[in-house]
Amino acid sequence: MNRGKQFKEGLITNNPVLVQQIGMCATMAITTTLFNGVGMGLSVLIILTCCNVVVAALRKIIPDEIRLAIFVVVIAGFVTIVDLLLQAFIPALSAALGVFIPLIVVNCIIIGRAEAFCQKNTVKDSFFDGIFQGLGYTCVLIIMCVFREFVGSGRFGGGLIDVANGFRFTLDGTGGGIQIFPEEFGASIMNLPFGGFLTLGLLIGLMQYALKRSEKKKKEAERAAREAALKEVEE
Amino acid sequence: MLANILSISLGAILINNFIFSQFLGCCPFLGCSNKVDTAAGMGLAVVFVMGLASAICWVIDNYILIPLNLAFLETLAFILVIASLVQFVEMFLKKSVPSLYSALGIYLPLITTNCAVLGVVLLNVQNNYNFIESVVYGITGGIGFLLAIVLFASVRERTQFSDYPECFEGFPICLVSAALVAMAFMGFSGMKIF
Amino acid sequence: MNNKIVRLALVLFAICAVTAGILGVVNALTFERIDQITHQKEYEAYAAVLGSESGYTPVEFDKAAFPTVDSVNRSNDGNGHVVVSTFSGAQGSITMAVGVDNDLKCSGISIIEHSETSGLGAVAASTSAAGEAFRAQFVGQDQSIALSKAGGSVDALAGATITSSAVTDATANSIACVASLG
Repeated sequence: MNRGKQFKEGLITNNPVLVQQIGMCATMAITTTLFNGVGMGLSVLIILTCCNVVVAALRKIIPDEIRLAIFVVVIAGFVTIVDLLLQAFIPALSAALGVFIPLIVVNCIIIGRAEAFCQKNTVKDSFFDGIFQGLGYTCVLIIMCVFREFVGSGRFGGGLIDVANGFRFTLDGTGGGIQIFPEEFGASIMNLPFGGFLTLGLLIGLMQYALKRSEKKKKEAERAAREAALKEVEE
Repeated sequence: MLANILSISLGAILINNFIFSQFLGCCPFLGCSNKVDTAAGMGLAVVFVMGLASAICWVIDNYILIPLNLAFLETLAFILVIASLVQFVEMFLKKSVPSLYSALGIYLPLITTNCAVLGVVLLNVQNNYNFIESVVYGITGGIGFLLAIVLFASVRERTQFSDYPECFEGFPICLVSAALVAMAFMGFSGMKIF
Repeated sequence: MNNKIVRLALVLFAICAVTAGILGVVNALTFERIDQITHQKEYEAYAAVLGSESGYTPVEFDKAAFPTVDSVNRSNDGNGHVVVSTFSGAQGSITMAVGVDNDLKCSGISIIEHSETSGLGAVAASTSAAGEAFRAQFVGQDQSIALSKAGGSVDALAGATITSSAVTDATANSIACVASLG
């Protein structure tokens, strides 16, 4: 399978959030600081890759009738492992994401990929599919976090980047981020649920606009090519 | 006790509405809100399953998992309980209450992956609710979902007649209208009865 | 037919068992660390509001009169009590430790858990200058503590009146709870 094409699908043309439009609850709920966004994105990436590999490896022995139940058990297993590891090693992230870590179990992205892709493909392809789809998800989260944080509190990289004592990355969520304009001038409504719905709406709208335009261009190019071919025949 | 239950109910329905302030259950919320009828059907099915799931998961958590020191299996156990519960409810309704089944039937399988259901069960554990509080939180959380989805479906029926940019067709315009409804729900935040 | 159902059940059971087994191992490996982190967080919060060199002992209190209070811990140094309470803020519940000294004055507050809006109510718990300044206002206050707009002397956080008043009310309640111990 073509990795480049798979990569492009995961990030753009078949992006889980923007194009497949699934897994939106967490996308809107936790994208308030870059720390949450990166943490959630990477957690989903790891869980998705592991589940993809296991499901693809077991695809020949899973009976068709109970495949969904088995997918759910595998997913719940990996989610719990990641949940426990986060609680033990990055407690700040676990506290910030709260109930949304266990809720990855019902995130349609993972069960959707298991059902649509891993059932029919090899372990290797499924592994890369997990990584690329996970990256696509992470990118959307990062875009939303950056936008909401900037408009909402005039900051970049809250929780993740600390500039108070020299530039460094923090894993305990204490970094203040880079203040671009004073927090008082921010439209703090962007940090509230309103901002989550609005940002995702605008982002998907933008994506549909871009996809439609590139499709139009492609059609026009095709038509031009056909007309040129016709001309040649006529001559 | 009564005051506590009232404040849980009010919190779950209005102040911390599952959709507009906690983002739980957004997928079915956006997927099933085309028409007020379907929205009401989905909402009722959610109320029913959330109430039942809260009760059953509370019993399993407090009488099986915690005594056996297996609290780390909560997520796994709860999702299995919810999935089988949805199956049982579907079979039961089909056999004994066909009228209700024809109204709710098609929504039931969708509920397994509704994060509001798993969410309410996990929140019950997180908030240390007792049995009655859990059930009340489950049912009223479902009512909050019902209220949100019915209100939003009526808003969405209106957007069909409005003139928005073409690229906002489908989900984007829904999300933008949901943002405005969420703003209205912000008015409830911080409300207190006692 | 029967055979098939048995086989399906066996497969499902086997996968559940393997998953549960793996989770058991992971849990055994992380359990101690998680336990330690949870307690450490609590002790840090206790120490931040009321220093004690010899630890804290939980004491009985009137749960019916103070339903939001989770626990009251007497400092073994005899310099006061730490009250932990859980109450509702603007978004969800807030868990907070309040130090109360022997003159029934607040010796400090520390928010252990919350789900307030980041940038607004969450400032009350943050380590930022605004958060430190907000919490510092509580030190030395007595049971009549109130926000300035309600006639007291605590300035509410900008854009987070609800969180501020919830925290203020809970502080007053915690002091009242210690007072009721006699």
